[in-house]
Amino acid sequence: MSNAIETRDLAYRAGRHFAIPGLSLTVPEGAIYGFLGPNGSGKTTTIRLLLGMLRPRGGTVRVLGSAVPGEMAAILARTGYVPERPHLYPHLTVAEATRLHAAFYPSFDPAYAAELQRGFGLPPGHRISHLSKGETGKLLVLLALAQRPRLLVLDEPTDGLDPVVRRDVLAALVDFCSRGSTTVFISSHLVHELERICDWVGVLDEGKLAAELPMQDFKNGIKRLRVAHVPETVTGAPFVVLSRESTGSEQTWVVRGWEPRMAEWLGAANAELKEVVDLDLEEGFVELLRASRVPAA
Amino acid sequence: MYKQILYAEWSALRVPVLLLGVLAFALPLLTVTYGGSLEGAPAGRVAQWLFAAQQIGLLIPGFAVLVGVLLGIGAWASDHAGKHVYALSLPVSRPRYMWLRFVAGLALLLIPVAALGVGAIVAALSVSLPSGVHAYPLELTARFLMACLVCYAIFFAISISTRRAALAVLGVIGGLLLADGLLAMMGSEASVTPTVLMWLTNWPGPLSILIGRWALFDV
Repeated sequence: MSNAIETRDLAYRAGRHFAIPGLSLTVPEGAIYGFLGPNGSGKTTTIRLLLGMLRPRGGTVRVLGSAVPGEMAAILARTGYVPERPHLYPHLTVAEATRLHAAFYPSFDPAYAAELQRGFGLPPGHRISHLSKGETGKLLVLLALAQRPRLLVLDEPTDGLDPVVRRDVLAALVDFCSRGSTTVFISSHLVHELERICDWVGVLDEGKLAAELPMQDFKNGIKRLRVAHVPETVTGAPFVVLSRESTGSEQTWVVRGWEPRMAEWLGAANAELKEVVDLDLEEGFVELLRASRVPAA
Repeated sequence: MYKQILYAEWSALRVPVLLLGVLAFALPLLTVTYGGSLEGAPAGRVAQWLFAAQQIGLLIPGFAVLVGVLLGIGAWASDHAGKHVYALSLPVSRPRYMWLRFVAGLALLLIPVAALGVGAIVAALSVSLPSGVHAYPLELTARFLMACLVCYAIFFAISISTRRAALAVLGVIGGLLLADGLLAMMGSEASVTPTVLMWLTNWPGPLSILIGRWALFDV
């Protein structure tokens, strides 16, 4: 399978306090890739590096098989982008902004744009400066989808939107993805939102990739275990211990890569597995971040 | 593509551009405020009239600077507001986008230039000139166009430049003023700023177009 996005040792620095030390991302073609991370972890910066808006200090980036920044025009012609903050010209109306956008993209589909515009209930004659936050968010998604892109890059597209608008936007996104083989790269810190739509997930923290795995593995493999007679060391365990917490004579472990047959390993270590609890994605995300900052002993 | 960029720019700047157009039309008409027929008027009155007309002509280069500043900075105002993210996400090279913006601004610049031309022709036709005095509406318009172009290009370049480049320009200006201050403190009669201004405003300095006679009527 080829990759829609591939970065190798991508490095960037902004001032003294923020750096991406060497990011290696792989987004398979056709995937809906959720790019998770807390605020300030570097999600937007990574996206801007992918789209050639920032110049990296080192490493390589390939998007849709083309090198960044060498072949940017070709990449951007096939990429729909929804930025974190609205970037459209506020004096234009919805219809004018759509026409302006369409002029730059040969693949722009006006009929689909009109269909989305009706579906979103966007008034074509309203100025962008007079649109609500939700309407602006819908317009940004409309423009990106109507390009019929091969790659869709969405930077927190539903951040700050009310639940109704969020549902509309995600529904349009899912509908669009079901019609073709577009790769979607969507960043968010709203974990539940991505859980429903993504099939791959990457977790970024402080500019470093804490994990990158299929969503199914992420959802199923992260468990909380209650263990008695805890072994001295977990070296050689067939799963990854993200965190350990003592509660009396027992310990609570958060592990990644858990499968039921792994209970045998605990038995062999004379430990007693008392309970296995499924963690939801948000708990798993928090534990992953905690583990990436303070690795378990 | 160009048509849409031009429309976007027109949509953002149409109010100031139309106001500039009205002012540009009115400016040459001010020259003939004194009006009336000068045919057969005594030489002294003609000289006075010409002097007044030339004084009003001095407003035109200032107006060209205003047009250049407004359109040069206005060309990038929408992109500055969105931190250039929209422009950078478009599938065109940066030089090409810059040219699209530049040419769109130039097209808008032609509105005040054309208005000044029409105003100059109307002014020239509304007065009966004595022999030896001529009207130069086309020459004035061509000169105004050149002055607007120079100012527009300068402010377009400043507006598109990075914060670092803008700071460098301010640094040079501050450095000149500082050097003059230091020279004055040392009791020297030499001065750097006037020399630089002379260099800029005398041919072939880039601002030389703004200096000289800007008269619609002359002998």
